Amino acid sequence: MPFFGGSALKRTGKAVRSWLPFFIAIPFLVLIEQGIALNPALRLEYVFQNINHIGIAIILAVSLNLVNGLTGQFSIGHAGFMAVGGYVSAVMLMRGPQEDPYRIFFVVAMLTGALAAALAGWLVGKPSLRLRGDYLAIVTLGFGEIIRVIIENTPFFGGAIGLSPIPHRADFAWIWAVAIVTILVAKRLRDSTHGRAFLSVREDEVAAEAMGIDTTGYKVRAFVISAFFAGVAGALSGAFEGNLAPQSFTFVRSFEVVAMVVLGGMGSITGSTIAAAVLTILPEYLRAVANLRMVIYSIALIALMLLRPRGLLGTREVWDWWRKRRPPRAPGRREASEALIDVRHATIRFGGLTAVCDFSLEVRPRELVALIGPNGAGKTTVFNLLTGVYPPSEGTIKVLGRDTRGLAPHAIAHLGCARTFQNIRLFRELTAFDNVRIGCHHLTHESMAAAVRQGELSDQEEKWVAERTEELLEIMGLTHRRDELAKNLPYGEQRRLEIARALATGPQVLLLDEPAAGTNTREKTELMALIRSIRDRFGVAIVLIEHDMKLVMGVSERILVLDHGVTIAEGLPREIQSNAKVIEAYLGEKYAKEHAAQIAAAGSPR
Amino acid sequence: MIDFLQRLVDGVSLGAIYALIALGYTMVYGVLQLINFAHGDVFMLGAMMGWYASSVWTSESRNPSIAGALAVTLFSMLACAAVGLLIERLAYRPLRGSPRLNTLITAIGVSFFLEYGGQLLFGPNPRAFGVLPHRASSVVAGISIGYVDLVTILTSVVLMIVLQRIVFHTRIGTAMRAVSWNPSVAALMGVNIDLVISFTFGLGSLLAAVAGILYASKYPSVHPLMGLMPGLKAFVAAVLGGIGNVPGAMLGGLLLGLAEQLVSGYTSSSWRDAVAFGILILILLVKPSGLLGRGAAEKV
Repeated sequence: MPFFGGSALKRTGKAVRSWLPFFIAIPFLVLIEQGIALNPALRLEYVFQNINHIGIAIILAVSLNLVNGLTGQFSIGHAGFMAVGGYVSAVMLMRGPQEDPYRIFFVVAMLTGALAAALAGWLVGKPSLRLRGDYLAIVTLGFGEIIRVIIENTPFFGGAIGLSPIPHRADFAWIWAVAIVTILVAKRLRDSTHGRAFLSVREDEVAAEAMGIDTTGYKVRAFVISAFFAGVAGALSGAFEGNLAPQSFTFVRSFEVVAMVVLGGMGSITGSTIAAAVLTILPEYLRAVANLRMVIYSIALIALMLLRPRGLLGTREVWDWWRKRRPPRAPGRREASEALIDVRHATIRFGGLTAVCDFSLEVRPRELVALIGPNGAGKTTVFNLLTGVYPPSEGTIKVLGRDTRGLAPHAIAHLGCARTFQNIRLFRELTAFDNVRIGCHHLTHESMAAAVRQGELSDQEEKWVAERTEELLEIMGLTHRRDELAKNLPYGEQRRLEIARALATGPQVLLLDEPAAGTNTREKTELMALIRSIRDRFGVAIVLIEHDMKLVMGVSERILVLDHGVTIAEGLPREIQSNAKVIEAYLGEKYAKEHAAQIAAAGSPR
Repeated sequence: MIDFLQRLVDGVSLGAIYALIALGYTMVYGVLQLINFAHGDVFMLGAMMGWYASSVWTSESRNPSIAGALAVTLFSMLACAAVGLLIERLAYRPLRGSPRLNTLITAIGVSFFLEYGGQLLFGPNPRAFGVLPHRASSVVAGISIGYVDLVTILTSVVLMIVLQRIVFHTRIGTAMRAVSWNPSVAALMGVNIDLVISFTFGLGSLLAAVAGILYASKYPSVHPLMGLMPGLKAFVAAVLGGIGNVPGAMLGGLLLGLAEQLVSGYTSSSWRDAVAFGILILILLVKPSGLLGRGAAEKV
């Protein structure tokens, strides 16, 4: 990578330009502050106090939106993280230098507070985010309360009385500059491959893992980033008000922020921003009915959930700023090894039930293998074993030469093994285009920091991802559905979209779980052709679970038959057709005997 | 040693109250996979209704007779059951089948509505509560057992035995367990799911009402936000025992009560509130399905 010359210059220029909105805003903010806010003749102190409160509320709401809106988790302890950031920075400021003309020390204190909050977020999120969303709600709620208890009992933090006086370092310009940064960071994260990863976690965690997305990792990341900004908001709040008291970080405060996110729309950044402004101003005008405020909030929240469950704006934005895409660099593909999948004597038991027993399978490059068997034979369980949804009780499973023991599903997807699901698991609330783009996620290299900076690599990758996605949609005949929500596609197209999404992960083995289920004869013929063309075009090996014998016999080169978890036959399609055990498994013993007798009778005269 | 035994008794008494509340959480979670955030506030309403009833029915709101206390408790149980049914019907039933996040937000909304609506009606200040007479403690072998503690422990034991009978030995209890295993299959077998869910809410609210009366008698005051902390802790107790598991909730409640009393006894009582959440994080790290819970893997 060149360190000097045009490229480096260009990159620096790009980085500067990407923050242009921010740099343009600064002088305006300072002008407003010097000209209007601090002008004693105008008597706008009270107005600007409210405006600054709005700025802080925006930081809180937009950051919580990352967790509650985009990632679909539910944190109700935002005030706790705010308190951590606020108190840490306040303690530093109170013991720091008296004069801080360039606010360097203030920035250091604010960042320290924010990092402390992020650390707290990591400590709280790591154990609870492995589990389902509602545990997080309780844990964050508990965390918020514990933080308050700790503060109230620690003289160092001022106890129940609070800390005061904190040097006034934050004012209008600082608060709003940070608010703009928060919005930019949130927006850029959301529009990047990481944002799509967040969304995929919200939509369907199992499918997201299968597409190679480290769901726990992404939940924790969203949570830590969100805690960081809550910490920033706390630091600003303390340095603006000049004091901090534990009473301002109660559950009610967290609940207000949740209300902002939910009202604005789960996932909508502009929605959160507007709701933050409205819900901050509203109480000022509701002074007369101040007691009613929380009652109104709670009724509004219930009504909204009943009538418009995604919030007022949903995931949409009021407008789309600065949309742009630029040049690509294709991430490389891994090399094929000899056996793509190598399962040796795999057995899995669920309690007393042996779902799959002593299963062995070898899949070579570009092979088309079918897995058939009566209902409950253990076919889907084999897929779940291959993709790491369940670990085998015994035996070894190697995918592309790597033992998958201890690997999470997303790691196995990274190795090059993608799947579809028997009961379609698309990200239903996302468009066809985004579904496939999420499949490309693990092929991209940009870091979250790069996504926020909007570096060159991220632009190239975004374009590459978009092109790859368009191409896959075209191959699957879904171009006309590009911008439709997955849930609105007809059944057959949903199946094809799932295949496109799986192909987007760049697999070398594609596992198709009953792709023909629920399709008619004509569609089945088309599907047969499609499966073959996928194999030829992408050079992937395909393992197919299917009930339709015509399709299985027509398309596969090798067939494995499972019955009650045991492999009862393996061979060429034609061998399987005449295998007595298979016929028995499918049709029962009586019919099998008759069939055998028929063959014997037909064969005997010769 | 006496000191330790004393804390043990206090812990069991507090734990019994947690267990009564936790049962409501765990039963609702069992049938609906919903954390009924408002359950802590139903508990608060139980105490509140008790306060109203006792101040209306007895000229002196403190220390009514045993029969009076029973009548007051019965009234508050019925009122709470009605509130529980109403909450389920109006707020949760329309959202059945929608994403879990939505029901969770609604539950929090309901909880806040009850708390701040209660504050509007009742005013934010605590009121003295005396449904159970505060008689002198009986001293057994150096350990003093308060009258309220004694009543609490006895009542809880009786209620838990009754509940155990209902859940495991009656028609509706069998239906409840069927719904918790698989609602759609239970429906196909002819179980009226709406009825079972309503029954579950009603039953949980009855227990919460009793817990409310007992708790308010132990710390003789009532106020609209009193449900928040005991509610959260009871939820922790339910998770500790394995959420969805009825004996688990009883065990979890007892353990939590003991842990709290021991910690606050040997350190400072201001750290009491931190104990529960410390336990919660620990259990989530070590055994998320709880002590008696069954691990649930999502079917793919």
